[in-house]
Amino acid sequence: MKKKLSVMMFTWEFPPRVIGGISPHVFFLSKSLAKSGVKVYVVTCDFPGAPAHEVIDGVEVYRIDSYKNPAPDFATWVYLMNLNMQKEAAAIVNKLADKIDVFHAHDWLVATAGIGLKHVFRKPLLVTMHSTEIGRRDGLHTNTEKMIHETEAWLTYEAWKVICCSAYMVSHVRWAFGLPEDKLVMIPNGVNINVYNKIETDLASFRAKFALPEEKIALYVGRLVYEKGIHVLINAVPKVLEKVNAKFTIVGSGYMKEQLLNIVRSMSLEHKVLFMGFADDETLLRLQKCADVSVVPSLFEPFGIVVLEAMAAKSPVVVSDTGGLSEIVKHDVTGFKAYPNNPESLALGITKILLDENYRNYIRENAYTQVQEKYDWEKIAQRTKAIYQAVLGEYSKSFWA
Amino acid sequence: MRVILFSWEYPPRVVGQLAEYINALATQLVKNKVETYVVTYHDFLTGAAEEASGVKIVRVASPVHVNIGVLTWILTLNQEVERAAANIYYQANKQIDLINVYDWHFIPAAVTLKNALDVPFVYSVESLEDHRSPNSDTPYNMSIKSIEWLGFYEAQKVTVKSQLMRDEVVRIYNVPKEKVKVVLPSTDSWIKDVLELYTSVAGGLDSK
Repeated sequence: MKKKLSVMMFTWEFPPRVIGGISPHVFFLSKSLAKSGVKVYVVTCDFPGAPAHEVIDGVEVYRIDSYKNPAPDFATWVYLMNLNMQKEAAAIVNKLADKIDVFHAHDWLVATAGIGLKHVFRKPLLVTMHSTEIGRRDGLHTNTEKMIHETEAWLTYEAWKVICCSAYMVSHVRWAFGLPEDKLVMIPNGVNINVYNKIETDLASFRAKFALPEEKIALYVGRLVYEKGIHVLINAVPKVLEKVNAKFTIVGSGYMKEQLLNIVRSMSLEHKVLFMGFADDETLLRLQKCADVSVVPSLFEPFGIVVLEAMAAKSPVVVSDTGGLSEIVKHDVTGFKAYPNNPESLALGITKILLDENYRNYIRENAYTQVQEKYDWEKIAQRTKAIYQAVLGEYSKSFWA
Repeated sequence: MRVILFSWEYPPRVVGQLAEYINALATQLVKNKVETYVVTYHDFLTGAAEEASGVKIVRVASPVHVNIGVLTWILTLNQEVERAAANIYYQANKQIDLINVYDWHFIPAAVTLKNALDVPFVYSVESLEDHRSPNSDTPYNMSIKSIEWLGFYEAQKVTVKSQLMRDEVVRIYNVPKEKVKVVLPSTDSWIKDVLELYTSVAGGLDSK
C-alpha cells in the first residue's frame, strides 16, 4: 500500500493559543487535511493548561516550551523560540519510522525553524504568507522591521511554493520579495459554518446584555491597531447616529484603545460605543449572530477572515474596499464596499444596511451562499493537498530525493 | 574518522585567540588522518570555500543583513551553518563521526543536527558569558547563558583549556565533572588527547 502523504506544520499559535488569524487557519486546515487522508503534525508554542502532545481529529499536535530562553525583545524571542521549536521538531521527525514528506511554515514567526529543518532532512518546505512586515507597517522604518522583512524574503526564497490567501496578497508578496510568478499559489482562507448553525436561535436575553431592544447592533471584531482602521469607524459613529439608533460594539484590544476612548469621550458618545476587550469564543459567536451589521474598516487587510465569519453568521457586512476584502465582497450583492479611510462612506453603508430591510436580507442570503460555495475548509484542504503532491512530484526528480 | 569543527572565527577572520587555535587543530587533525571540515562565518574577506593543507573549509553568511543585535545575527546565521553541515553529511553518505562546536555561537545548529541526524557533538569552551559580562543578568546576557546551558546539556563531552575553567563550568552550570575534560594545547600529548576524546564520542549516541 502506498504510504500516506505526511506534512509537518509550524505555527506560533494554535488553539487554545489564539493571537490572530493564523491560529484558526491552521486549526481548520490541519483538521480538514487529516480528513482528506493526509498525516498531519503541528508543532506550535505552549499554552497554560494545554498538553505538550495531543491528537485532535487525527492531527498530532506538539506544543514546545516557547519561553525556555529569556529574550530582550519580541523579535529576538521569536528566533530563540524557533531554536527550541527546531530542536524539538528535529527529535520528533527523527523518531518517526517514515520521516516527513513536506514541511509547511506559517509566516516569518517560524521561519528559521522551517528553513533549518528543510536542509537538515532535505525535504521540501512550503510557506503560507498570511501578512508581511512591509504591509503591516506601510514601509520599513526601523532595523527590527527591516530584519523581519529580510527574514520573510529568506523564507519565501527557501520555500518550494508560497501560498497566499487572496489574489491581492499574491501580487503584494510578489512585489515585496521579487518572486517569480510560478512560485506563488492562491488558496483562500476558509470559514466553519457549522459553529454558527449550532447556536440557539433565541438570543434575546443574550442581546439584552449589550444593547437596548430599540438599538441596532453594529459589530467590530479585530485588534485596536492603526492598520485595522478602527479609528475610521469611531469617526463614522456620529454620522450613523444622525439617521439610526445603534450601539457600536467593539471586540478586541490594542495599543490604540486609550486614544479611541478619548475620541468617544470628546464626542460624549460613551453610551453608544461599548469597548468589550477580548471576548471568548462563546460570546463572540453569539455576538456575530446578533449583529445587525458587521463592519470591517481595515486600511491594510491581506485576507480578512473576520468578514467570512460575519457572512457565515448571516450578519450583513460593510467593508473597506481594500486588499482581500475587495475580493471577498461584491458590492451591493454580498455586502457594502466603502471607500477606505473614509468615515462618510462607511457611515453611508452602515446606515443603508440598518435602514433598508430588503437590502439587508438580500445581502445576507447572497453572502451565506457564497461562503458555502467558495470558502469551505474541505475544498481548501483538497487544493492544499494538490499543491503538496505537485511539489513532491518536482522533488522526486531532484537530487535530494 | 570524519569531523566537522564549528567556529565563528577562522583565519583570515581573527577576532580573538580562537581562530589560530582552530587553524592549528584542523591542520593537526588532517595530519593524523582525520577528514576535517571547518564551518565558519563568511565575512567576505575571503572566498566562500577553500582547501588549505587538506582542511575543507565552508564559509557561510546570514541571509538577514539588518540585525538588531549579536543574538539575532547569530540565530539567523545558524540555519546556514545547518545547511552547510547537512550538505557535508549527505555528501559523505551520512557518515559524520562528530561535530566539535567552539563557544556558544553555533550551539543551536549542533543541537539540531544531533537531534535530527544522531550526530553527536563536543562543546569546547573558550570563554563563558558569566566571565565576559560579570554580574550581568539582563535578558540579553541570560539568553546567551541559556544557549551555553543548552550546549552543556546536549553535548556528549565538554572540553576546557584549564582546571580553573573546568571548575567554573561545574560551578556555574552544574555539569557533571566527569563530562568535562581538560585538553591543554600547550602539552606534547595535546593532539593525542583530542583524538582519544573524539574516539570516545564517535558513534556515542544510542542507536535507535
